[in-house]
Amino acid sequence: MSETSAEQLKGKVAFVTGGARGIGLGIATVLAERGATVAICDLAQSACDAAVSDLGTEGYTVLGTAADVTDRDSLEGAVSNVITALGQIDILVANAGVWASEGYQDRPEYNDADWDLTHSVNVRGVVHSAEAVIPHMKERGSGKIVNIASHGGRKPRGTATGRTLGLPYSVSKAGVIQWTHGLAIELAPFNINVNAVCPGELWTNMIEGIYANRQNLTDGGSGGSVREEYDESMQNTVPLGRGQTPRDIGNAVAFLSSDDASEITGQALNVNGGARMN
Amino acid sequence: MTDATNLDGAVTLITGAGRGIGQGIAEVLSERGAVIALSDLDADRSLVAAEAIKESGGNATPFGGDTTNQDSMDGLAEAVIKVFGRIDILVCNAGVIGAPGYQDRHEHTEEDWDATYGVNVKGFVHTSNAVAPHMQSLNAGRIVNIASHGGRKPRGAKAVLGNVQSPYSVSKAAVIQWTHLLAIELAPNNITVNAVCPGTLWTPMWEKIAENRRTADPEIAEFSAREVFEMSVKERMPMGREQTPRDIGKTVAFLASDDASEITGQALNVNGGAVMN
Repeated sequence: MSETSAEQLKGKVAFVTGGARGIGLGIATVLAERGATVAICDLAQSACDAAVSDLGTEGYTVLGTAADVTDRDSLEGAVSNVITALGQIDILVANAGVWASEGYQDRPEYNDADWDLTHSVNVRGVVHSAEAVIPHMKERGSGKIVNIASHGGRKPRGTATGRTLGLPYSVSKAGVIQWTHGLAIELAPFNINVNAVCPGELWTNMIEGIYANRQNLTDGGSGGSVREEYDESMQNTVPLGRGQTPRDIGNAVAFLSSDDASEITGQALNVNGGARMN
Repeated sequence: MTDATNLDGAVTLITGAGRGIGQGIAEVLSERGAVIALSDLDADRSLVAAEAIKESGGNATPFGGDTTNQDSMDGLAEAVIKVFGRIDILVCNAGVIGAPGYQDRHEHTEEDWDATYGVNVKGFVHTSNAVAPHMQSLNAGRIVNIASHGGRKPRGAKAVLGNVQSPYSVSKAAVIQWTHLLAIELAPNNITVNAVCPGTLWTPMWEKIAENRRTADPEIAEFSAREVFEMSVKERMPMGREQTPRDIGKTVAFLASDDASEITGQALNVNGGAVMN
């Protein structure tokens, strides 16, 4: 009577940027489990190959194609590779993102390089990714675009931290949310849905770096390991008391990419255990 | 639950399930494998809706229940638990657009404020009060509140059709805030609380809204209620189409599934992009 989760995205082709690790790999894995054929796009071909090999071992059809999201031509090339190989792209997950520029672990404040890098990857990269698939989706009269923003792109919560390092990132993610709204209106007449998922704090390389930065700046913090500090913070700041996983983000992306969400567009959904509410 | 997107065997209580959005939610959740307890103020409507679900092979049992009355909701929760042994999912849906005679007024009345507050806000509070202690004892549960995108910030520059809808919108904004607060309260018990904000659906409620607009605006007086509805959809919806009760049901199914275990305190618009958050 009811379809199983393995059929949720049966027959669909998904293109996931930053798909070789962290949140992107979690998304790629869930979409593959839900029946989609997944094209993993990441900066290094070797990273793509490793992810493809891991998912291939699980029996999923996956393709890897390297591209630099800050370079429009490079993305267009990757998209064209995927369409040639798989015939179509039904789902774009614009996920590739950065926290700050090199050396941030040791700095309390942002610098110009942080603004430039977060803007070029988190904002312009997401724009380029959409631009590369839009003509194809328009032609087919359907498509799903899911942008990975952050709940850091919502209004700030809490009191002064005395550090501004994370601001360029938060501003860029607010930009992704507004881009999602604007693009949704632009593409609605073509039956293309555009939504954002706003992850909370997940234990990824990015978060490990952020917590290492905090520890470095507070003389070792509470004295525990970086992971312990993260867990303690989750217990204190997240209503559900835990961090999220890349798969949790993948679950929400799968829903927004499915037929079940055909009337949802222009929305940003926090997947963050209730840490911020909108 | 055995499958991430399915609700196999999950006992689901839905208020206002006898028609409109509530009935659509009941249908979809039943198709996804949930066991449905339908509650409606009009017990006859519950009965008819439950029969329809059973005819399509689902498992549904009708109940009455007046959400404005705490004792009635306590009795409902007790009756459902007695029949099914548990409640896994609660969908607070029963709502009103205004006091009786709404379609003929263009200014809100005291009665509109009382009716919308009593049903849309306190009704949800009573229903959760009745079910939450049970979910706390299970250390698990899903609560989904049906709000409205009318409970978000207003859009547009002019109020051309009077202010009769203001009490409704204020009550739905309150549902969203209630969702935030209840989510924090119940998170330690592993219960998630979220809201779905429907857009524009052709339901008995929207028929009243369309009637009301026809009589407020001479330019559309000649149109049928359905035509007024379609004009509003065209004007407001980027996707250009109306939503259906089943569309709302699909999002409720997601928020009630294992896939949404890390989502709480959120309100999600299902409205073709008419309002964005």
